[in-house]
Amino acid sequence: MKTVIDVHNISKIYNKETIPVYAISNLHLHVERGEFSALVGPSGSGKTTLLNLIGGLDKPDEGRIVINGINITQMSSNQLIDFRLHNIGFVFQSFNLVPVLTARENVEFIMQLQSIPKKQRDDRVFALFKEIGLEDKMDVRPSQLSGGQQQRVAVARALASKPQFVLADEPTANLDTKSASTLLDIMALLNRQENITFLFSTHDQRVIERARRVITLTDGRIISDTAVVDTSHKIEKKVS
Amino acid sequence: MMLLIMAWRNIWRNKARSMTLISSIALGLFAGVFVLAIYQGMLKSRIKTVIRDEISHIQIHHPLFRNDYEAIYTIPQPEKLQVRLQAINEIQQISARSVAEGMLATGTGSNGVEIRGVNPANEREVSNLDEKLVEGTYFNTGLKNQLLIGKKLANKMKLKLNHKVVLTFTDRDNNVISAAFRIKSIYQSTNTPLDERIVYVKRSELNPLLAIGSGAHEMALLLKNDESLDEVEKRLQKMYPQLSVQSWKELSPETEMSITTVNQFSIIIIVIIMLALAFGIVNTMLMAILERTRETGMMMALGMNKPKVFSVILLETVFLTLAGLPAGLLLAWGLSLYTGSYGINISSFAEEAMSSFGYASIIYPEFPFQYLSDVLLIVIITALLSSIFPAIKALSMPPVEALKK
Repeated sequence: MKTVIDVHNISKIYNKETIPVYAISNLHLHVERGEFSALVGPSGSGKTTLLNLIGGLDKPDEGRIVINGINITQMSSNQLIDFRLHNIGFVFQSFNLVPVLTARENVEFIMQLQSIPKKQRDDRVFALFKEIGLEDKMDVRPSQLSGGQQQRVAVARALASKPQFVLADEPTANLDTKSASTLLDIMALLNRQENITFLFSTHDQRVIERARRVITLTDGRIISDTAVVDTSHKIEKKVS
Repeated sequence: MMLLIMAWRNIWRNKARSMTLISSIALGLFAGVFVLAIYQGMLKSRIKTVIRDEISHIQIHHPLFRNDYEAIYTIPQPEKLQVRLQAINEIQQISARSVAEGMLATGTGSNGVEIRGVNPANEREVSNLDEKLVEGTYFNTGLKNQLLIGKKLANKMKLKLNHKVVLTFTDRDNNVISAAFRIKSIYQSTNTPLDERIVYVKRSELNPLLAIGSGAHEMALLLKNDESLDEVEKRLQKMYPQLSVQSWKELSPETEMSITTVNQFSIIIIVIIMLALAFGIVNTMLMAILERTRETGMMMALGMNKPKVFSVILLETVFLTLAGLPAGLLLAWGLSLYTGSYGINISSFAEEAMSSFGYASIIYPEFPFQYLSDVLLIVIITALLSSIFPAIKALSMPPVEALKK
């Protein structure tokens, strides 16, 4: 299996000048292609910070992050923007669709930023909406979609750029049970069929149950890393 | 294309706020452009007055005449010259004048005057003198020594029709000559300083007094159209190098200067208005940007680079600013058209002031089409400048911070 994410001994320290707080402390993590993994842990454990660091939205104070063989730690903010565009898909807790664009435009927009030709864009947009089951809602604005539908469009947007992996920060937190279940089904299907790597941060037991690897964080450290072969067979690796 | 769509739709997120700004831009532009239209109308009217009432398009003199207005410096063989000039297609009418600087005296006082000896028929064609009469008739054929004076001078000297005055001046040999004339008509133009200074007599009566025979000091040329002025002036200067050929621009440099000044002033007015509006634009854009901090952060997180984020903000500002442009211009054009036909009469409070500067007290605004490109440029520059601060604000926050908002 190919390593997509290689996090090597990173630390993220806040309030360095006064009372240093280690949001992430000497953390190592390897994520391989095709994983469907969940980062879990209590609030303040560093889940979102870790996702932000892996996603190139923030920079570690120590250590390095290598994505698909490329060290992103030394990249400038402009280089990171370009890297994110071509390598990373994001799904946010609060959907974060552009309200003035239709569902189709929200998805197509990312491909426009990548300068993909119109015909290819149209084909991929249609394919993605088919996969998320919203072909009939392509031309409506986000405000006319339910929360679950909006999050499905956000997943389609995250996949539009054909990223190396998708980072999803609490994707089901604002969804009802049925919507969350539908969303997870879609993401699991995409993971299985297209071998797309997903890394979630979550509190949601429904997500944890579907994940094939569960990484537990506390105080910025991984305290357990559990691989799940199937729902009845868990291999737990305790991390000191 | 998506950036254009996004920028345009962003404007309409908060319709009330955007419409308020668009309305203020429209009103500001309307006010600015209408002021330009008023200036434009005043200038055009002033130029028309200078050409039709005061100077005409071109004047020809002996090169030394205008130094001291001495009677000796006449144009040689003016009749022949007049015939030759009349053959030039662009020239509509010519008035040959004899001119003397002198004094107008009554039993109670005197006043310095410029005495113009004219051929009444030619002069009315060149300067519309007959149309400016407020009392009396325009040079009766049978009467001798008729004098036509301005209303301002008549009021100042307490003169009325048929009063007798004495004009004193020097002839070509520097002899002091005095002659009695009777006021037969009083004129009033839009230029009171000239009304106070210029009196008209028949050239056929002034020339013997000046001892200049059939000579003339001045040829006033009215052209068929303004556009041929420079070309005709140059041609005449080539044809008559021994004479002084000058256009109204050289003879009335203050009018030419006021055109330049008003042109510059007009642009300054628009700049000031747009500068004031720029603060409103910056304020509106800042509010809009701050409201969408999270969205901007999200777009940068997804891979939208800084130039593209900047482009959206820039386009939004330009759209917002340009949206007010047509309405403002249309309003200004409509009002200019209306008032241009009916005029704005300010005689009740400004007639004296206006006429003392040679301006008519009824203003006919004229839409300043020639300034439209300048106005558009100023508006776009304002929009560009106004977008810089909000854009810097939007781009200054790292996406990770913006996403927390």
